[in-house]
Amino acid sequence: MIRVENLEKSFGNLHILKGISTHIEKGEKVVVIGPSGSGKSTFLRCLNLLEKPTAGKIFFEGKELTAMKEKELYAIREKMGMVFQHFHLFPHLTIRDNITLAPVKLGLMSQEEADKKAAELLQKVGLSDKAEQYPNQLSGGQKQRIAIARSLAMNPDVILFDEPTSALDPEMVGEVLALMRELADEGMTMVVVTHEMGFAREVASRVMFMDGGYIVEENEPQEFFTNPQNPRLREFLSRVL
Amino acid sequence: MNFFDKLHETFIVDDRWQYLTNGLKITLLVTFFASLLGIVLGFLIAIVRSTHDKTGKLPILNAAAKLYLTVIRGTPVLVQLMIIYFVIFASFNVSKVFVAVMAFGLNSAAYVAEIVRSGIMSIDNGQFEAGASLGLNYPKTMLYIILPQALRNILPALANEFIVLLKETSVAGNIALNDLTKGGDIIRSATYEAFLPLIAVALIYLVLVVALSKLVNLLERRLAKSDQG
Repeated sequence: MIRVENLEKSFGNLHILKGISTHIEKGEKVVVIGPSGSGKSTFLRCLNLLEKPTAGKIFFEGKELTAMKEKELYAIREKMGMVFQHFHLFPHLTIRDNITLAPVKLGLMSQEEADKKAAELLQKVGLSDKAEQYPNQLSGGQKQRIAIARSLAMNPDVILFDEPTSALDPEMVGEVLALMRELADEGMTMVVVTHEMGFAREVASRVMFMDGGYIVEENEPQEFFTNPQNPRLREFLSRVL
Repeated sequence: MNFFDKLHETFIVDDRWQYLTNGLKITLLVTFFASLLGIVLGFLIAIVRSTHDKTGKLPILNAAAKLYLTVIRGTPVLVQLMIIYFVIFASFNVSKVFVAVMAFGLNSAAYVAEIVRSGIMSIDNGQFEAGASLGLNYPKTMLYIILPQALRNILPALANEFIVLLKETSVAGNIALNDLTKGGDIIRSATYEAFLPLIAVALIYLVLVVALSKLVNLLERRLAKSDQG
């Protein structure tokens, strides 16, 4: 579904990604871990071209994103949901309008259809009573659940999660992870950058360890956590587990 | 002559008060349409400038906008007014109200543009990214996500700009437009009495500005309320 070939990204003189190649299949749940500064968020943001790669190619469902005109790229992004660390809900809109804005303004649904979809999604994320409220009235965990609902409203083929629980109070992490677990069980393709090792172990179909701009090791979680090969991964795991 | 005789002499004789009321009409007319022009043009310039700042696109339009801002903000509005009237429209027979609207509108646009641009740039980049990640292109993100938030933030500054504009139109007498200030001046030259007509003119401006400020305060408070709710 997503194929990455020799992806590189620099910010000025700072060489963040130094050649990433991987392939993410439909239905996979890839969890990316690594120390801060390892480039894992940049890698994720390159997948939907929020960051423009310096070199390399990215394919999504057979089409090369890195060779696309901007207009086509926006059409692709409709199919690639993204959930941010800091939620980025639209503060001037009600929760319902946060969810319905994109499908309606892109002409994918009528306002009625979108409202119906929003009601379903709000029920799914357990926040049906919040439809008329504004983002500022919600807790962090609730905001993130709404952000997930907002990306689901576009019926995406894959959702990219950029440290979705890192900005949350500890007692709110659970509700967001539970929702993500539910999505995973329903077969959603997911790429998740996170520090939640429990989530990686239990939900991931593959865990990827990034360090210094490279994918240093990747494996299915059982093997990854019990039998790490790379010394840097072993060191990282010994510190976080 | 006592005070009431002077009052009578200044405003009642020959219906001189009409210089003030007619002048006020012109002042309000010019302020209103100049504000409209300033808003429309100012928003366009701000969108060009911030689009360039954010995406690097529109380099030529951006350069033109920057030049425009430099020239307009670097020269006095009175000089601009006179250039438009005595140079640009020198050989055309156009209404002075139209010239004043153009001059003050074009001038105000430069200040509105910088206010709007600061409003756009103050919105967290995450809002642009959230829009893009949902497949909303730059213009749609701007229209539905960024501008509504920016507008709310800059409303007080914007309103203040129009209060300033109202007062600035008082130099329109230099192209012989009979605005409020000019009306007071005509009375002064007819009665050789400066105090009453000028104070009257000042009072009218003051009442207008205070009323407008009150309106802005009201608006601000309502916005603050809906921010929480």
